[in-house]
Amino acid sequence: MAKLKLEVNGESLAVEAAETALLLDALREGLGLTGTKRGCETSHCGACTVLLGGVAVHSCVVLAARCEGKEITTVEGLSQDGELNELQRLFLKHGALQCGYCTPGMLMAATALLRRNPKPTLEEVKGGLDGNLCRCTGYTGIFEAIQACALGGK
Amino acid sequence: MERKLVRPHSMDEALSQREQHGMDALPIAGGQSLLVMLRNKLIDPKILLDLESIGELRGLQRRSSGVSIGAMTTFFELLSSAEVQNVLPVLAQAAAKVGSTAIRNLGTLGGNLCHNEPGADLPPALLVLNAVVELRSRKGVRVVPLTDFFRDYFETAVAADEILSRVEIPALSQGARSAYIKHSISAEDLAIVGVAVVVIPDEQKAGSVHELRIGLGGVAPVPFRAAKAEAAVHGKVLNDDAIRAVAEIAASEAEPMSDPHASADYRRKMVKVLVRRAIAAAMERAERNGHGKT
Repeated sequence: MAKLKLEVNGESLAVEAAETALLLDALREGLGLTGTKRGCETSHCGACTVLLGGVAVHSCVVLAARCEGKEITTVEGLSQDGELNELQRLFLKHGALQCGYCTPGMLMAATALLRRNPKPTLEEVKGGLDGNLCRCTGYTGIFEAIQACALGGK
Repeated sequence: MERKLVRPHSMDEALSQREQHGMDALPIAGGQSLLVMLRNKLIDPKILLDLESIGELRGLQRRSSGVSIGAMTTFFELLSSAEVQNVLPVLAQAAAKVGSTAIRNLGTLGGNLCHNEPGADLPPALLVLNAVVELRSRKGVRVVPLTDFFRDYFETAVAADEILSRVEIPALSQGARSAYIKHSISAEDLAIVGVAVVVIPDEQKAGSVHELRIGLGGVAPVPFRAAKAEAAVHGKVLNDDAIRAVAEIAASEAEPMSDPHASADYRRKMVKVLVRRAIAAAMERAERNGHGKT
């Protein structure tokens, strides 16, 4: 076992995990941060997407030990003082979810996209979500919410 | 016994591990394929040898003879590098087609080559660029042309005590044109067929081809150069008929397999279509200058 110190959502957290533990397991099993979802575990579905050093990664294919000293943001880190952030509110407004299982991953992929490209075109929005699957066929609402967020919530 | 993670900070340390433990110490680059193989219990190494902290495996250097790229360079770094876009556009194109955004953020050049999964995007592009790889061990350095590197499904020329350190790509001649085209059902899939071409026009004879290079992925046990097709067009004018003939020969050189994504027959037919399209894409600029259509 290894003792790791991870910087998650602005907090320095200690976690004990197997030496080759995945970030997904360290977050969910080690730290109880279950907002990050376990999906395919093979980097196809994107349910486990988090930000690592500000960019989107699938936490099911990242070694937790490699994340020490890097900024990790999970879906729990989006809300502020218990209030949903703008992107989250717009997901609700645009009905950008049905079952909701893909939503944390979608939110994190969209957050990464908007950080590097604050005014994405529809094609760029689709490109930014190319690693995230929704099996309720709810993409239209998701695209609308992200584009609305880019336009300042309109 | 719990699997160990070893995180060397120098190539010497990493190579000592390889010398000592051989295949039991499996190098992990970006982990985007390897961690899936582990999860699916297809591999079971005693040690994961993490290459992340080894500085000399990173970085892209422009040399007069070409470009040298560290094995740990990510797909995102390749596709967004102005140097790669300008000097090796076909490599930037192929890197942009790999998997999804998240995979491109972490997956690496060296990992992609060493994993050697059929349908990978970088091999066809690097094959037409005449890339060679540098394999390091405690004994020294081996330089292996990419055409000799891929051995069989998921198998390469990397020996148990070696680590792929860099990829060396010779400069393309001025006027060379290139393109990579990928055929897949969904964007993040591996290629059903991946075709890269380099077209080097004959400076002396307008409209003629000095050299045509065709790299194919997903249509044989390993990615390869369609040598017979390439030879057929040397010195000739690349008109419609010539391109069709080249595409036919390239398709005959494929040894595709059927899998759940596509039948062998379909893959072979798609080689014919994609070779034509790749040449057309590479020649687009020439077409506008009136050098014949495809």
